[in-house]
Amino acid sequence: MGVTKEQVESSLTSKLNPSHLGCGVVGMGLQGWGEDEEVIDDSGGCGAKFSIVIVAEQFEGKRLLERHRMVNGALVEEMKEIHALSITKAVTPEQWKQQQESEKSQAAA
Amino acid sequence: MSLAITVPSVFRTSPCPRAAESRTTDVSLSLPTAHFGRALRCSTIPNSSIVTGNRAGRLRSIRCLSALDPNLKATLDKVVTSQKIVLFMKGTKDFPQCGFSNTVVQILRSLNSPFETINILENEALRQGLKEYSSWPTFPQLYIDGEFFGGCDITVEAYKSGELQELLERTMCS
Repeated sequence: MGVTKEQVESSLTSKLNPSHLGCGVVGMGLQGWGEDEEVIDDSGGCGAKFSIVIVAEQFEGKRLLERHRMVNGALVEEMKEIHALSITKAVTPEQWKQQQESEKSQAAA
Repeated sequence: MSLAITVPSVFRTSPCPRAAESRTTDVSLSLPTAHFGRALRCSTIPNSSIVTGNRAGRLRSIRCLSALDPNLKATLDKVVTSQKIVLFMKGTKDFPQCGFSNTVVQILRSLNSPFETINILENEALRQGLKEYSSWPTFPQLYIDGEFFGGCDITVEAYKSGELQELLERTMCS
């Protein structure tokens, strides 16, 4: 039971039409992921933790808080079973390009 | 600048929370629920689930509440403005019980900003109500100057970009 990576990806794809989407599933008990927080979660199940990088045109002109709200909104059903969601990046295609390029130039330096 | 804490006592975190205690599923019932107990009776929970005294039934009812109770909303309005920085978190400032909550506590500490924390693990009605109040599904939830700022990811990003420092400086001086 629980939400799969595919479900998360398909909801995000259909609702936010991302040009790039990275969705990682983080296992239970990983260091630094608040491993003790599930213990008292009232859903009672053993849900997964997801980490998302999403690039979408729709984020244009939106503050980070609004972007995160859009992602949360797209995953409203999944959130009932997801125990932890980390949106590592929610950027526009333009920002994404810039970030990729600056990473490349850093790696080359 | 007054640092007096005016958070209603019902939200105060106990001075020494023990993990084992707050990890039981009995959280919502073992707390001082005078306020929320009343609030819940005014709400739309079907009577049957209360008179049976069935704990599972009650917890389910709390989760199903669709509208934010007006009493709870009024209280939260006061709480989020009681201090310039209010953090709703899992655990306490000195004993965070979740890595995400801990991250935000460490960030606020590093910025030397006085902040109040409220342990949402101690009150199930508060925990569920806040999700609606903030339109935010998870914890921690950071309020700055009475406004919802974000969760852990947003706080981390704003800290890295320097935006958080700026905002806090402005807020503390206002």
